[in-house]
Amino acid sequence: MTPVHLRIRNVSRRFNVNGTTLTALDDVSLDIKAGEFVTIVGASGCGKSTLLRLGAGLDVEHDGIIEHDGKSVDGPSLDRGIVFQEPRLFPWLTVERNVALGLENAAFSKAEKRQLVSEQIALVGLSGFEKAYPHQLSGGMAQRAGIARGLVNRPDVLFLDEPFGALDAITKARLQGELQDIWATEKITMVLVTHDVDEAVYLGDRVVVMSPRPGRIKQIVPVGLPHPRERTSAELAAIRNEVLDILNSTNGETPKLATRPVAAKRPVATANHIHAAHRAKLAQPAFSTTEI
Amino acid sequence: MSSFTDTVIGAAGAKGIDNTAGWKRLRNRRVVRRAVIGLILPVMLVFTWWLASSRGWLPEQILPSPAYVYATAVEMIASGEIFYHAGMSLRRVVYGFMFGAIAGLSLGVAMGLSRTVDDYVRPIFLAFAQIPTLGWIPLLMLIFGIGETLKIIVIAKGALVPMTMNTAAGIRSVPANYVEVGRALRFSRLQTLRLIVLPGAAPSIFTGVRYGLTHSWTALVGVELLASSEGLGYLLVWGRQMFWLDVVIVAMIVIGIVGFLMDKGLDVAETYFQRWKRSEGEA
Repeated sequence: MTPVHLRIRNVSRRFNVNGTTLTALDDVSLDIKAGEFVTIVGASGCGKSTLLRLGAGLDVEHDGIIEHDGKSVDGPSLDRGIVFQEPRLFPWLTVERNVALGLENAAFSKAEKRQLVSEQIALVGLSGFEKAYPHQLSGGMAQRAGIARGLVNRPDVLFLDEPFGALDAITKARLQGELQDIWATEKITMVLVTHDVDEAVYLGDRVVVMSPRPGRIKQIVPVGLPHPRERTSAELAAIRNEVLDILNSTNGETPKLATRPVAAKRPVATANHIHAAHRAKLAQPAFSTTEI
Repeated sequence: MSSFTDTVIGAAGAKGIDNTAGWKRLRNRRVVRRAVIGLILPVMLVFTWWLASSRGWLPEQILPSPAYVYATAVEMIASGEIFYHAGMSLRRVVYGFMFGAIAGLSLGVAMGLSRTVDDYVRPIFLAFAQIPTLGWIPLLMLIFGIGETLKIIVIAKGALVPMTMNTAAGIRSVPANYVEVGRALRFSRLQTLRLIVLPGAAPSIFTGVRYGLTHSWTALVGVELLASSEGLGYLLVWGRQMFWLDVVIVAMIVIGIVGFLMDKGLDVAETYFQRWKRSEGEA
């Protein structure tokens, strides 16, 4: 029905690590419609963040085609917002100034910029904190500011790289709900990467399940439930279980580990000896099934 | 949603607003306490000095009594002599430091931003930096004579080294994550420098300014000792030659006080410019 907004065709991404080639993404194809909410879920090292960075244009070294509205993505653009896992606010600027950075290169007048900034701050529920410095904010509030900065320029796609990964369960649930509301009112295409299956299923119109080593799309699960959703609904739970099953079946690709007794049932048991950068994340379970 | 915001405001209020008065009082008390503690050693030193001169542990020509030095100081203040010399010295430091700091900032930015520049410049720069500022004076004296140029150059050199090193290190330590945010927001190179790199490196640059100023000040006294007819360093040499040790001691005390005040002033400025930093940590 709606035309393809973001086209990802046969995309591969290889990294050279000490002379050996590591395939982070292998022949990935995905079409995203305008206004769609797509979530990408998978274990550490499945290339989901790599895919997101390619989509956003932060990384352009790839094979295959990535197009946004028919134009090849060859670098970052103000039409594509991004929210990182860490809010990455500049500690020397107030919330207001941090959000306003998103408009630094936008063609708006000063007054319009001020207007947009205060609207965005209100949208993410930070009114009253405009003059606060990042160190005065809680993790959840800082991430709200990060989202506001990503949205302030009215991009038509927003990429979110595990935006709630570092938050406690309650804040996370609240922000997921708010993000869903923002998506519904602003009609922005959203692509969210996560390792949290509940989050992926709760937010996504489609859940892209990826498998690691090399990073591939294992299956795309349509959720097909209207937004806003009931967290506890049976349909959602069924889809969640389906996604978890798919994820479990992706772990068999490392034969050495499959022989370990724990590895049979639990998706958590994959050893993370892939990317050194991801090792720090080991403290968190690979798939959380937090039920709120 | 609204209840959430309320609790957050409540929490922030408890931390920042309600307690401000009490917090200030507590901090003032701490400031006074620290000032008093800081005075203990100087007072003991003066007492020892007084004891040594009154008991005749050292001949009066070498160690005049505190009372005598005090009288000389009063006299030098009244005649304006001390202000003349201190003013001359300060003027030199201001010029020298300005040149040195600007050169150091530029060089540090270049080295911090470009690996290539750093590779070319760092080895020779470090080698030059190893030669103490005073070690440069004999050679520079032959080239520039003993006029103001020499003094400004020597003082500038004193500021240059710490400014350069700290600026370069500060820029190198700006997280790549921050720079990437700039990339995502389509910042130009200049915007990245102005909005991300320089503010991110500011704490380190400020350290460079402080060290630079201290080095400039000590270099100044050094160069005035060797080649000058006015200034605080000159007072030292001249006083020693005339065996006016009271003048020497007054000059030394003024040098110490001016240096201390400059450093304190920068401290205050730094706290002001970096008020975004966590205040709990340094209190």
